[in-house]
Formats: sequence, C-alpha cells, structure tokens
Amino acid sequence: MPVISADLTINGGMPPAEQLVQRLLSGHTLLADSPDHLLEVVGVLESYGEVLDAYSINLIYQAEHQFLNPFPIFKYFNGHITPEKIWAYLNHDRINFEYAEYCMKAMLWHGTGGLHTYLDSEAFAASCAAIIARQRRRAPLLALLHPLAPSFLPELIRSAATTHALGQFWRVMSDLFLDLAAAEREGRVRSIPGVVDFIRDGLVAAAAIPITYAVTIGGERLWVLPPEAGLTFLVDVAVPYVEAVFLRGTPFFGTVSFNAQARQISTDQGRFAYGALYADPLPTMGSGIPPSLLMQDMYRHLPAPLHQWYRQRARGEGDIRVKICQSFQKAMFCVTNAAINGTMPHPLASGEPQHRQANRAHAEAWAARLAIARTDCLGDAAPVLA
Amino acid sequence: MPASLPLSLQLAWLIPLYGFSGLALALPWMAGLFPRNGQRPAAYINILVTLLAVLHGSLALRDVGLTGPHHISLPWFTVADLNLRIGLDLSPYTLAALALVTFMSLVAQVFALGYLDKEWSLARFFGLIGFFEGALSGLVLSSNLFLSYFLLEMLTLSTYLLVGFWYAQPLVVTAARDAFLTKRVGDVLLLMSVVALAAWSGSMEFTDLYSWAAEAKLSGSIGPLAGTLLGLGLIAGPMGKCAQFPMHLWLDEAMEGPNPASILRNSVVVTAGALVLMKLMPLLQLSLIANDVLLVVGTISALAGALVAMAQVDLKRAFSYSTTSYLGLVFVAIALQQPGIALLLLLCHGLAKALLFMSVGCVIATTNCQDLTELGGIGRRMPATMAAYLAAAAGLVGLLPIGCYWCYGQAVEAMSHSARPFAAVFLLTNLLTAVNLTRVFRSVFLGTPMPKTRRTPEVNWLMALPMVSLTVVVLLTPLLMQRIDPVPGIASFSLPVGLAVTASGLAGALLGGLIPLDRFRSRSIVDPLRGMQDLLAHDFYTERIYRATVVALVAAAARLTNWVDQRLVNGLVNGLGRLSLQSAENLRLSVSGQLQSYVFTVVLAIVVLLSCISWWTGTLEVLP
Amino acid sequence: MNLADLPLLSLLLAIPFAGALALMLQPVTAAPAQLRRGAIAVLAAQILASLLLLGPFDPANPALQLREAHSWLPGIGLDYRLGVDGLSLPLVLINGALTLVAVVCTREFSRRPRLYFALLLLISGAVNGAFLADNLLLFFLFYELELIPLWLLISIWGGAGRAYAATKFLIFTAISGMLILGAFLGLALLTGSVDFSLTPVTSERLAMGSQLVLLAALLVGFGIKMPLVPFHTWLPDAHTQASTPVSVLLAGVLLKLGTYGLLRFGMGLFPEAWSRLAPALALWAAVSVVFGSLAAIAQRDMKRMVAYSSVGHMGYVLLAAAAATPVALLGAEFQMVSHGLISALLFLLVGIVYRKTGTRDLEVLRGLLNPERGLPLTGSLMILAVMASAGLPGMAGFISEFLVFRGSIVAFPVATLLCMVGSGLTAVYFLLLVNRAFFGRLAITPVEDPLRHARLDIQLPAVAPRETLPAVGLSLGVVGLGLMPAGLGHLSEATSTAMAELPVLVASLIRGGVS
Repeated sequence: MPVISADLTINGGMPPAEQLVQRLLSGHTLLADSPDHLLEVVGVLESYGEVLDAYSINLIYQAEHQFLNPFPIFKYFNGHITPEKIWAYLNHDRINFEYAEYCMKAMLWHGTGGLHTYLDSEAFAASCAAIIARQRRRAPLLALLHPLAPSFLPELIRSAATTHALGQFWRVMSDLFLDLAAAEREGRVRSIPGVVDFIRDGLVAAAAIPITYAVTIGGERLWVLPPEAGLTFLVDVAVPYVEAVFLRGTPFFGTVSFNAQARQISTDQGRFAYGALYADPLPTMGSGIPPSLLMQDMYRHLPAPLHQWYRQRARGEGDIRVKICQSFQKAMFCVTNAAINGTMPHPLASGEPQHRQANRAHAEAWAARLAIARTDCLGDAAPVLA
Repeated sequence: MPASLPLSLQLAWLIPLYGFSGLALALPWMAGLFPRNGQRPAAYINILVTLLAVLHGSLALRDVGLTGPHHISLPWFTVADLNLRIGLDLSPYTLAALALVTFMSLVAQVFALGYLDKEWSLARFFGLIGFFEGALSGLVLSSNLFLSYFLLEMLTLSTYLLVGFWYAQPLVVTAARDAFLTKRVGDVLLLMSVVALAAWSGSMEFTDLYSWAAEAKLSGSIGPLAGTLLGLGLIAGPMGKCAQFPMHLWLDEAMEGPNPASILRNSVVVTAGALVLMKLMPLLQLSLIANDVLLVVGTISALAGALVAMAQVDLKRAFSYSTTSYLGLVFVAIALQQPGIALLLLLCHGLAKALLFMSVGCVIATTNCQDLTELGGIGRRMPATMAAYLAAAAGLVGLLPIGCYWCYGQAVEAMSHSARPFAAVFLLTNLLTAVNLTRVFRSVFLGTPMPKTRRTPEVNWLMALPMVSLTVVVLLTPLLMQRIDPVPGIASFSLPVGLAVTASGLAGALLGGLIPLDRFRSRSIVDPLRGMQDLLAHDFYTERIYRATVVALVAAAARLTNWVDQRLVNGLVNGLGRLSLQSAENLRLSVSGQLQSYVFTVVLAIVVLLSCISWWTGTLEVLP
Repeated sequence: MNLADLPLLSLLLAIPFAGALALMLQPVTAAPAQLRRGAIAVLAAQILASLLLLGPFDPANPALQLREAHSWLPGIGLDYRLGVDGLSLPLVLINGALTLVAVVCTREFSRRPRLYFALLLLISGAVNGAFLADNLLLFFLFYELELIPLWLLISIWGGAGRAYAATKFLIFTAISGMLILGAFLGLALLTGSVDFSLTPVTSERLAMGSQLVLLAALLVGFGIKMPLVPFHTWLPDAHTQASTPVSVLLAGVLLKLGTYGLLRFGMGLFPEAWSRLAPALALWAAVSVVFGSLAAIAQRDMKRMVAYSSVGHMGYVLLAAAAATPVALLGAEFQMVSHGLISALLFLLVGIVYRKTGTRDLEVLRGLLNPERGLPLTGSLMILAVMASAGLPGMAGFISEFLVFRGSIVAFPVATLLCMVGSGLTAVYFLLLVNRAFFGRLAITPVEDPLRHARLDIQLPAVAPRETLPAVGLSLGVVGLGLMPAGLGHLSEATSTAMAELPVLVASLIRGGVS
C-alpha cells in the first residue's frame, strides 16, 4: 500500500508491469537517460556514499565496542570523546546515526534471507551461550536478568549481529558509490546505463565477500557470525537489505495510522510497501517521516555541482531536502536496476529458451513490485519510461 | 508577602513559567533557523527546564513542610468591579501534585528522546510538551477559578497541537479536531459558569467563592434553576478533561498522537481535570442535581469504560478506555465527598497508567504494531517492558498490595455503610480491569511469537531507563501513600473488605486468563457474542451517534443559515437593488457614472428621509 | 516647545492627508517601491503622533481631551472640533498600525500606484477624523470621506467580480450614510439646536417616540457598517473581491466606525432610548453572532469564512453596548481592538495563501503545513490566529470576550449565553479551515475531477520573510494584548465607566433641570 492516501492516488506514474519486464529484459534502464538524471543520480549517490561511510563506521563500532552495553551514552562518538565532539553532539551538529539504526531495526524485524536463517540456527545459539557465559561474569546486572529472561540476551546479540552485518554491507556500498562519483568525474561513466552497469559490476564483484562478526570479551575473541556460517555479501545481506529497506520498510507515524481498528497496516509484512522505492518525497522533513534524517545527512554532504543545480530549481535552498529525496529515489531505481541485472539468472543475450524463461520469471517478479511505485512526484514528467 | 519567606516559595510563580519558557526557547529550532543542524538542542533545553521545575518544586515542597502553606496572589488585570489575579496555593497537597506533574513530564520527555529517535521535528514536540507542562503546573497550583479556566483552555490547545503533531496523517487530522471540539464544548459550558460566578460573586478566589456559595445557599439569592445550571456548567469542564461519558470520545482518538504525549494525557492531564473538579465541589452545593449527575456519569464511565476497554483490539485504546473508567471511579469518590480517597486514587492511577503507557510504547516501538491479535510471545525477550507492564497492572488492579489496592480498600470500606451500590461499582470495575489487563498481557507477552513479534530486542536505554525508574516508583507507592496520608493510614479498612477487593481482582485475573484470544483479526462466530463485541469495540457506536445528532444538527443549521443568507437576505438585497436602480444594467455602470449616481442617491435619500421624519413627528413648524 | 501645545489631533489628520496629496503630486514615473516607502514614512509619522497622544492624555479623565475647536461653517453648525477620549484613543492607535500593515503587505503595484497609496492614506486620515470629531456633522463628513477611497480601492484593484461587490458596498453605505445624516439632522431640527455637539442632554428634551425613531435610524445606519445581520451581505462580497490590504483595512479599521458610531452616537446621544431598546439589541446581537458563525461553517472560500466570522464577532460589541455596564463597555473596546488585530491577521494570512496557491477554496487546498514545499510559517501563524479568534486564553480574543460576557451576563443572561455558543461555533469553523487547508498531505485537488488529477508534486513559490513580517508583528500584538491587557484597560476604563453611568447622569440632569 503506497504511502500517499488512497483518495489522492489512482496511478502512481509507473508504466504497467508488462512494459517494465520488457525494459528489464531488453537491457534498458528503468530510469530514463538524461544529463540531469546523471547529475542527480551520481551526485546524490556521492553524498550518500559519504553518509554511508559514517553510518558503516559507527554501526561496526557499536557492534564491536558497545556490545551489550546497557547504557551506551557515547555510542555515536566512535570512541573519540572530546569536548568539541560533545558540544557538536549537543548542538546536533552531527550525522543522524539514528537513521542507520532505524534501517538495522527494519532489517532485523523483517528478517528475511540467509542472515536471518542463521540467527535462528543451533550454531548461533551455541555461540550466544558461549558469549553470555563470559559476559555474565563481567556484568552482574545481566547475570541477574539472564535466568529470568533467557531469550533476552540472544535477541540483543541478534540485533548486534545485524548491526555489524549492515555496517559491512554499507562499507562496500559506500566505497562503490564514491568510486562511481570518481569514475564519472574521470569520464568513465557518462550515462544512466553506465551508472547501472558500474553498480552492477561492483555488486557482482563484491557478491562473495564473506560476512563475519566477532566480539572481544575480556580479551577473548568470540565469533558471533563465524566464517563457517558461510554468509556472503550479496545473497545474505544485500538481498535482505533491499527487501527490508527498499521494498517493505516500516509504516511511518507521520503518514499511516497504527490504530488496529482502522486496519491501515497489513497483517502480512510481505505486503508492506513503505520502503524507499515507494517513498513520497514531498512530506520530507515533516513530522513522523524518518527518512528526513537521511536527507538531512545527505544535505550536509552534497557535492558542489548538484548543490548548485538544486539552488536553481523550485525554491532553491528552501525545499532542497525534498529535491534530494526525489533524486535519491531516482538513484535507488538505478541501484535496484543494477541489483536486478546482477542477480539475473542468465545473461540477457542468451538464446536458450530455458534461460530466457528463467530471466523472464526473475524480471516479472521484480516488475510486479516495481509497478506500484510512485514516480509522479519526482519533479519531472516521467522518470521511468514505458 | 513576608520577606522571611524562603526564596523557593517567593519565586514559586516561576514554576509554571519553566515549562512555557521551554516552548519559547524551542522556537528558533521550530522556525528552522539552523538549517544545517538538527533540532535536538530544543529537546535538551526542554528537559533541562523541566529538571529545573522538578528541583524548584521539590525545594518548595520541602520549605512548605517547614514553614507551612502559603498563598501567592499577584495582580493581573483590574478594571471597574472586576479584579482578575494570579493566585497560587502553595500547600503540601498542591506541591505534591506539582511534583507528580513535573516528574512525569521529565520522565516522559526522556522516554520521548528514545521513542522518537527517528523523528525530525523534535523541537515542535518538545516545545509543545513544555507548553503542556507549564499549563498543567499552573493548573495544579492555581487558587482561583479564572486562572484555572485560563490554563484549562491552554491545555485544550496544547492537546490539540500534540494530538495533531503528525499533522499529515489522515486520522490524526480528525482526531485532533475531535479532541479540540469535545474539550471545547466542555470548556464553553464551564466558561458560562465561570462568567456567571465572576458576575455574581465578585472574587474568583476559590476560598471567596466557597464562602459566597455558602452564603448564597443560606440566603437563597441564587434560584434553583440558576444554581443547577451553574453546577452543570462547572462539571462539564472537568468531564471533558477527564474523558467521561459522553465526552470521552476524544481520548480514544487522541491515541493517534505520539505515545509520550499519551503517557502524560492518560496520567496527569486527567488528574488535573479531576483536581479542578475537587476544587469546584463546594460550589456544587448550589445545584440540586450536579452531585447526582456526577455519580451517574462516574458510574457509567467506570463500568462502560471498563467494558469497552475489554473489547478493544488496539493496544493503546485498550488502556485509554481504562483511563475513562478509573476517572469515573474518581468522580464517584468525589461526589460521595471522599476527596482523600479520590486523591490517592488519582496518584496511584496516574503513576501506574503512565507506566502502562510506557510499556505499551516500548512494544509499539519494537514491533511496529499495536494490534493485539498480531502480537504475542515477547515477554521473555523484553523483560524490562514486561516487568513494567506487570508492575503497572499490579498498581492498577486491586489484587496485590500495591497502589490502587489500598484505594479500593478504603473506597469500599467508606461506601460499604452508606453507599453500597457504589462499593459494588468499585469492585466490578476492579474485576473488569483485571480481566482486561490479563487478556492483554496474554496477547502481548505470552504465547508463541507472531510474524511481527519474531524479532523483538529490548528497547534502547533512553526508553528503558525512565520505564524502569517508574517501575520502581510504582512498586513503592504504598510507602508514598503512607507518607501523604499518615492519618488514618492507608490500610484503614476491615479484613472482609480487603478480601472482597482481592477476590474481585483475582476473579478478574482468572477470567482474563481463561477467555479465548483472537488471532490475526479473527472474530467470534457466535452471533450474539459478535454483536456484543462489535457494540463494545465501537464504543457503543458513540461516534456514529454524535455524527447523527450533534454534528448533523450543526451541519444542518449551517446549511440552513447559508440558504437563508444567500436566498432570502441576499436575494432580497439584490432584488431591491435591481428595483431601485430600475434595471440590472445600472449595476454595471462605469466608475464615474456610479459616483454620480451615488451622490445623487445620497442627496435624494436624505431629502426624502428628512421630510419623512419631519412629517412623521409632525414638527414641520420647527423648521426656520 | 511643550508637547501639550502641539495640535496633535490636527496633526493626526494633517499628516495622512498631506501625505496623500504629496504622493499624488509625485511624477507618474515614480517607482512603486519608492511611493511605498513614502507612504510608510508618512504612516510612521502618523503613528508617532498618535503615540505622542499618550503623553498628555489623562486616562483618569473620562471626557474628551486635548480638544481643538475652530469655527468653520457656523451657519449650518459645522465646526472643526476635535477631541479624544478612552473610547477613541485605542482605535486611533490601531488605525495607524493597521494602515501601515496594509501598506507593507501590498505586493502588487501593477496599476496606478500613486493613487493606490494616496487612497490608503486618505482612508487612514478620514478614519482618524471620524474617531476624533467632536461635532456630528464633522463626523459625518469624515465618515463619508472614507467611503469613496474604499469604494475606489475595491472597484479598481479588486477581483473579477469587483463591479458587483463595489456597487453593493456603495449602495449599502449610501443608505448607511443617509440614515446617519438623517438622524443627525433630525436631532438638530427636532431640538431646534444647530450646535451638533456631542452632548446627550439635548436629546432628552425630545419625546421618547422621536428619540426611538432617530436611534433606530442610527442603529440601522451603523448596523450596516458593523455589519449586523441582516444588513451584512455587502461584507462577504466586498471582502472576497477586495485585495488583501484593503481587506485588512476594511475588517481591521473600517468596521470599527460602525461600532464606534453605535457607542458614541447611538448610546451617547440617546442614553434613555438606548436603555429602552437594550433588550431587543441584546437579542439582535445574539442572532447576529449565531447567524454569522453558522453561515461561516458553510463557507468554502477561506476569505468568506473570515468575513462571516467578522459578522459574528462584531455582534459581541452590540451585546456589550446593550448591556452597557462598565465592564461590558470596556469589553466592547477590547473587542474592537482585538478584532482589529485578529481579523487583520487572518486576512493577511489568507492573502498569503491565495497569492501562493491561487485559490482559497477549502475543498482544493490540503496540507499547507508541509515544511519544505508548503507554507509552514503561514500555517503556524494561522493556527495562532484562529485560536485567538476562537477566544483561547493567552491571546487578545479571550480577554475581550471574557469582559464582554462578564459585563453582559448580569443584564442579559440568555443573549450572553447564546453569544457564548457562537464563540464555541467559531472554534468549529476555524478548525475546519485549519484541518482542511493545512493538515494532511500537501496536495491541490482540482474541483472538477477530484480523484484523477490531484496534483501531488506541488511547486508553490516560497514565502519570503518580509511577506510574513506584518503577520508576525500582528501575532505578537495579539499575544501581547492577551497576556498583558492592563495597558489598554488603563486607557479606556474611565471612559467606559463614565459611559455606563450616562443614563443615570442624564436622568439626574434632566430632573435637576426640571427642579
């Protein structure tokens, strides 16, 4: 269910699913190719890369150094506590790490994919038991609580594991987006298809990177996500991330009623459509719209050309974060496009009917979910062409 | 004011201003003056000023204990025979209420930092909470009716703005509107009585009003009709504030607002409303039926509220109706002239209900869900939340010797001699509340995890810390009560009464443990049961009744007025205009033509008019 | 030179009139912005002069003060006599302030800027003249003098339906003017005096029947101006067609001429007949309040809604005047001032919405509180303004209504209670306004096909800080008066009390004269 209330929507501006399938199978990009789009997508991904860098560093710091800390007052300081940093923190002159945690919580809560399966496994339970046994000796409060609520600590460890995994995922994505910006500056990427190909290649290259996580308790290193679990970048983290953050998301207080009798929220999380691809940019910075935090963070890291481009449009600086959100959504169409292409079962050029059928099924599955996205409030006429 | 007065009391008028200053200080961030930075400084500043209010209030409480109660009276506006003053009562009771208000505000604000961690518009939220707190602090200290009314209305405004915080959400829009209008109905009725009292009595100080009322009753200077209307107007305001039937609808809808505001609304706001009612009680003796109305309204609210709460599938609404129910009990206690019991009940209910809403907030923040049929099995993974829920439930139900148990005991004891039916109302409400709390507990915390509750790590420390602190406070309520009410002591009821209370609570808990739970929006297939459930779940269709009566009436009157205005009044004017200017063409004359015709019309009309007057009064000869 | 020696009252007339003349004498090529600056300078001088009044003005003295008298046309009883008291002083102050607001908020200078600004100044001067006149004919002169510029402002700078609205305004005010003049002349003729001074004693020589007739003429005359139901239909049309600055002046200042006239002449000249009619007047006030509020609920056009709210709110003044207790009359004064500020604020904000969105239709607008693409500051001020208008404490509307109700309930309980119901209805329609236009998701829904073509990617022009500056200033005034009413009360208390005692005073004078 799209975020814009039903009485305002008839058609979200996307072409029908069948045409999207054609676009995907013919190798066309979802987002129309234009110089403006290139500037927007590369620019916004560059600032996103900067922000993800900070998010990733902090998530990994939190998972490793604030592990099971009941009062993580300085969890956003990455271990460097100085008067200037404290002042900047009090003045809210900082990255909104809360948004990174929000994405982590969405990923944990939706719980799809390989990481999730592992978190429910016997092996994970065993590592938890080992970690808790050591932690109990050090923290009397936890020692007291654990027997009363035996599932309490494992759940927090699952949360920490997801935090670390997301941090690792964003590490790769941050580097990829910053590389993309450099490639565009050097003239190696000159079009939207170039952008999509660049990201796809980056994703494919990173696909097999192992995802592991260990904590140090009392000088002893203990695995939470051991290498033996065989968790890898693309299938176990990237795909669940896309599912949880791009597609499903969680309902916003600012747009959806949580009232059970109003029944605005589906009982089936699989049918959620509150994710980034379905976003409605206009209410950005309003109350109850969490992505506002991300838009603010990207606003603080905008590359100069894109900033200049925004200043010349609509209200200039006045509605810049709405425009960032519009560009961001276009960029997310490119990233999704790259992910679809990268996970396509067989090369598009393949002539084998079986291959073609498998590709078609893959494209159809995606097109069905993309067709309900809203692109009629992205600032230009038809960003996704039929 | 004697100079020897401790500084904390001399400056007591500052206490409400701390909250208001929070709003003022948050304005720069609300207005977006710092585009590159976030709005958190406004939140920190508000927490800081609330902390100041807490500290100042505690100092004042200590000093009042040492030097005895004081009264502050500052002039505000004096004209003719009207003297409007700012009067504050500094007694152990008002300052204890103030401590409750400021402490709850502090706790709720820290909780909000955690609950709204992904919220951008923090400055507006915290500024509004500051405004809210300022109005509440003033209200509990106020010693005069005018100031109380003034602040009650400010509370209405801040409720509207807080419920409307997520203004882009469609249901919030209607909820904020209904909250404002329902309270406004109560406020306007209250205003009628306030204005009448201001005119009749002269002074607006409660103490002066009491002696005036006593005199008026003796001398019979106020007729029975006027007295009755006066009394009904006076209770309408607190009825609206305390969400009593039939003005309870807004509290349900107000659940669309942010949870930290719900914490305050369900604990201290309703408490403030009841405190105002207690201050008004001596004035109600002028009215023949006001007391009976209070009893009826309280009884209906207590029982119907508890029944409706049982049928709710929404986590927050299940407890908002319970607030209506408990305030109904407070109304009954007040009407039966048991202010001590009412005060204790307000204190215990306020603390426990705030804790309950914190626990509920943690569940919602973790599961993104407030549908009871989709929750389950999170108890062992969220021990702090579950402990808070259990403590709050124990504090509300008369079963374990915490909180409301003692209030129930005293109330039933007091009523068992003279007002037996109301003792039964108390016990029945206790039973129903126990059923509700038990069934919600089972739905949320027990059973197998549901899809939306499979991954539920405990909440962050900013939510957990205030929640755990309040849990401790709730568990310690008996000590607190003992201090406030040393004579006759909280346990001044007989063993059978105590057993009766325990039995009603136990029966409720057992019933709640046995009734079947709905899962995934499933419904009972037994028709009468289903109808009953619908009736209660939809709050006796109160909203539809309002829509069909009051709303329809106002809408029809508005349409009728508009029709009269357009067709009759304006039609007549246009017709006359055409007639007098011979043809409609003249209406479209050029600018200069209009001016000429204007001057001509004026001159002609004046001559005609003068002749008429002269002729009519028959004094033509006066003309020179 | 001593301040008291300055002819301050004459200055209050001379400054705007001279300013208007000076603007008209500018070359046709003069830049509009420069003309605007000139008008602002003139108004600053006028406001300064009106503030200087506060120095020599003695609040304890209820009578007209700082009087200036010059013989002009003694043959017909027209003398140049000015004076100020607690009733007129606050109105003179807000006249200057609101004219300044009107000039500052003027954004479109496309047509005849010289004439436009000169007319605004002319209105301000004429209104000052009417408030300060100590001679019936002089008052009438200024009363009529203000009509022509206003009519021109509507018919030249108005909206598409301006011809109809302006003509309607003209006819109504012509009737209003002739009724007032008729009453004044009638009074002179019947009493045989050509003095035309403001003294109630003369009317007491008349038979009650004649008094009632003359008073009725004044009531209808000023009732049209206020306006009171059923003489109000010119107001919504005039407002919807007038530009924002004109609406600000019309609602904020010109309607006050009606209430001022009612108090000064209706009540002041015929105290005995007035108290005879008072119960009917209170009822009329209640009908006007409830009618205006109910009609406002049915409106879709924000500006019409605000206009109807004026009908309702001016009814309170009539109620207070009917009750005529000291507190009620002070409440009337407060209500005039606070309605001046609040309605001016409302029209300013509606004007901003209209300028940015091109519509005032409540079925079309949604979600204007949107922080980046909407009008968030305008929306926040709108919430403040409607709450003030609905009589929420802490703002000017509350203390005014409280004084009116508190002063009137003793005399007319039923009418007062009905007026309070009207005050409750104010909250209903203004909440509808705020909820529909400002809450929800930002969208513009065309009327013809609400579902299919709702515009979701809204590009409204930004509101510059200087556009909201006058509104912010007025908001501060509204809150300031609401929190600190003592200053205004101090200025007007003596006069209100004296006016309330007028019937008694006159009766005793008459008796004294007889004995």
